[in-house]
Amino acid sequence: MWDDRFEETVRPFLPFLAPRQQLTPEDGLKDLGLDSLGTVQLLGTLEDAYQVRFRDSALTMDTFRTAGVLWDTVQGMLHTTAS
Amino acid sequence: MAHDTALVFPGMGPVPFAEVGRFMVASPFARDLVDIADDALGYSLVDAFRTSPGDYSEAAQVAFLVNCLACAHWARAHLGIEPGIVAGPSFGEKAALAHTGALELPDAIRLTAEIARCLEEYFATEHRDIVTLSFVRAPRDGLDAILADLDEAGEWHEISCHIDDGFLMVSLSEHRVTWMEERLRGIGSLPLYTMRPPMHASAFRSLRAKAEREVVSRYTFADPSLPVVADQDGRVLRTGQEVRTMLLDGFDHPMSWPSVTTALKEAGVRRLCVAGPDSLFGRVPRTTRTFDVVAAPPRLAMTPRRRTRAA
Repeated sequence: MWDDRFEETVRPFLPFLAPRQQLTPEDGLKDLGLDSLGTVQLLGTLEDAYQVRFRDSALTMDTFRTAGVLWDTVQGMLHTTAS
Repeated sequence: MAHDTALVFPGMGPVPFAEVGRFMVASPFARDLVDIADDALGYSLVDAFRTSPGDYSEAAQVAFLVNCLACAHWARAHLGIEPGIVAGPSFGEKAALAHTGALELPDAIRLTAEIARCLEEYFATEHRDIVTLSFVRAPRDGLDAILADLDEAGEWHEISCHIDDGFLMVSLSEHRVTWMEERLRGIGSLPLYTMRPPMHASAFRSLRAKAEREVVSRYTFADPSLPVVADQDGRVLRTGQEVRTMLLDGFDHPMSWPSVTTALKEAGVRRLCVAGPDSLFGRVPRTTRTFDVVAAPPRLAMTPRRRTRAA
């Protein structure tokens, strides 16, 4: 599962996710209210939060399909940065 | 003359019937306009919208127009929006014409329906392979290099919309989209979606001529009651002839939102109300950084509001 910072960053972009509702890796972000412009804003916010830069294959709408896919992508970039 | 408040009618995006159907039948602001639309069209707009397939059917386009205008009436009544100047990027031009009286509402409704049919006819046989691809955060030099490679390959392309810094829409052949998306990702850009039919490109000059001949020439355009900012270049328009030209330019000239926001700022605008379903123009940084944005979507107009007690 992800760290607290990830959930704190993503939640404000999901207007249909109730405050006490759990966010799970399988949750579709579009279903929870993430639209195209929200995706763009979330991308920039995640880059600032984790000091990473989405590039190449990470830059698809598919990256933002579910919370789990998005976290895997962020985590992958963190590992690349660290190694 | 300074204008404190601008009214902006958004460009059209997909709006499912489920999102606005209740607004159209329950809001008194929408209902009055839907009645006028039914008379002008000769069919039930709500029924046609509910049953028409596709995001951009004739009924969906007229419904978008009507809902934007109804939201502007609601914003005036409930939010005190009294604009001094009006803009309508892309599809929003039509609502701007109706709101300012350049076209009477029944005429604006008929013109919208007829242009929708004209587009469908045209793109059924012409430019069937062209789509418009939108993308964000494309650095200009990187994008120029990609477009230069398209030029070198002899591939037609054109910038159709400029939304914000690094946020553009380019029309190109569908078979080049995958290649273009790959190249965009390589410069750190995020491709968003492709649209069909495409719009706003010089290649569609014959569409402009068809629309003028078959639709626009049958209508008379009055001088607008408020100045209208042209979405192609930010010129402030005050005559019926000028807004008619803007409508036609929309077929074969690119849309430039930065030109509109610059013109509004220079006109003294501080508050900008976006009337209608909008997921773009009222939210991009260029807009939110420059103006106090008041969103007036159908969803808000259907939210029960607490009455304020007089002091």
